[in-house]
Amino acid sequence: MGPDEILKFSLADFTYNDSRDVLTPPGDFDTWADDPRISVAMSFFEQPLQEAPTPRTTLGHRLSGEQRPMINLTSYNYLGLSTHPEVVQAAVEALEVYGVGASGAAMLSGTFDQHEAFCEELAEFKGTGGCMLFPSGYAGNLGAIQALMQKGDVLVIDSKCHRSIVDGAKLAGARLATFEHNDPASLDQQLERFEGKRRMVVVEGVYSMDGDVADLPALLEVCEAHEVPLYLDEAHSTLVFGETGKGLSEHFGVEGRVGVHFGTLSKSFGGIGGFVCADERLIRYMKCYASPFQFSCALPPAVVAAMRKSLEVARRDETLRRRLWRNVERFRENLEVLNLDLGDSCSQVIPIIVGANGEELITMAMAAQERGLYLQPIDFPAVEAHARRFRISVSAQLTEADIDEACNVIEDVIARPLGRVGAA
Amino acid sequence: MTEEWTKEAVVEVILKNLRENLYDVDTETIDPKSSMKDHGANSLDVIEVVSATMRELEIRVPRSELTQIENIEQLAEKFMEYL
Repeated sequence: MGPDEILKFSLADFTYNDSRDVLTPPGDFDTWADDPRISVAMSFFEQPLQEAPTPRTTLGHRLSGEQRPMINLTSYNYLGLSTHPEVVQAAVEALEVYGVGASGAAMLSGTFDQHEAFCEELAEFKGTGGCMLFPSGYAGNLGAIQALMQKGDVLVIDSKCHRSIVDGAKLAGARLATFEHNDPASLDQQLERFEGKRRMVVVEGVYSMDGDVADLPALLEVCEAHEVPLYLDEAHSTLVFGETGKGLSEHFGVEGRVGVHFGTLSKSFGGIGGFVCADERLIRYMKCYASPFQFSCALPPAVVAAMRKSLEVARRDETLRRRLWRNVERFRENLEVLNLDLGDSCSQVIPIIVGANGEELITMAMAAQERGLYLQPIDFPAVEAHARRFRISVSAQLTEADIDEACNVIEDVIARPLGRVGAA
Repeated sequence: MTEEWTKEAVVEVILKNLRENLYDVDTETIDPKSSMKDHGANSLDVIEVVSATMRELEIRVPRSELTQIENIEQLAEKFMEYL
């Protein structure tokens, strides 16, 4: 790989390792990753936060080691519950009682009164009979899909679904079929194609790279015409959408028509974990066949106690959600003035689509960090090569001043170089 | 060995891998001017077919150069550039 070829390659190109020795990465991967231009791009991975994931935080710069104060537009802490005083207090109190870890898998010794109570509360919140917890969101989709699907079945998913859903199908040994993003006609075609097979459809409430939402009424209609159940991943939409924060299904008034409700505790909830709400008898069955549930240590009881408090606070205090939506509106208004391409976003996840030039994306990301703005660049293959982008996660905790300051930086380091606004 | 590859042979390797990665495709009758997606391949199937073919041809073509490719023949032509 010559120096002029380096930038043509991406993380999509090295999944196959041609080394004889399993413990040696591919030789050209090392050549590629050692190139200074790639090192700079990769320095945006795993940058260590030095403080809480709040809008004003401190970031350790990976290359210089320097610590810089930042406006943080990258964390999923949409409602600010990760640092909410009541949530932190609940965790501290539970730590004193239960210690640090669960010390067992949920089916054996890892279930505590906290887990049991939280499952009841989540099931009541989502309006289902049952609920089960997973150690992470990824593990939740992986395990739930593994438990529901089997060899010979077809999992029909939106083309923009998360990796955890794809991997769930692989683990289950089910066939995977994708339909065009949010397109009921394409879904209909795929369901038609596999008529006669056991099928399940998976869509997401909010799509994490685009911030758009599933067209649930139209997609459900297709599912119902084929008598195929819908699995709804509300990782980013729980506590954000719907009158009472139940999610996109509540927003559209279709809660009762969704077969499986999936959610995470690492986004609006401000913690860690995944959960699946469904019919009580189905949950009882799934618990017996979801490996990530059976063979992982259960969530720490103190985390569960904190998550119970998050749910309580989010349900009690609507102002958090209102503030989030007000901030989303303010952000959008400011970004639209800058003529930036925000895709079809209609949620708290707002992409700024920069285009095909990966070098330009990284240059902009560096300039933003220099100016005290922590904005994660999203490069190919995480998104399509022609639509590399930044992704803003709006938080209820942002002040108007934070948003205005952030947008000033975005104007200087993104909108101007893209020629979206005048140089004056 | 690299100069021995013809476009037809590269197409054959692609079709063989397509056959191995798809459940119900009849690769005997596939027109190289069709796309893998026309035969029911999803994006992950395509990645797998492309990876397996590059492995066999002992080449590494950047994925970013493959995003505009529309059919099997064009894919074979792109691989030929690296052989």
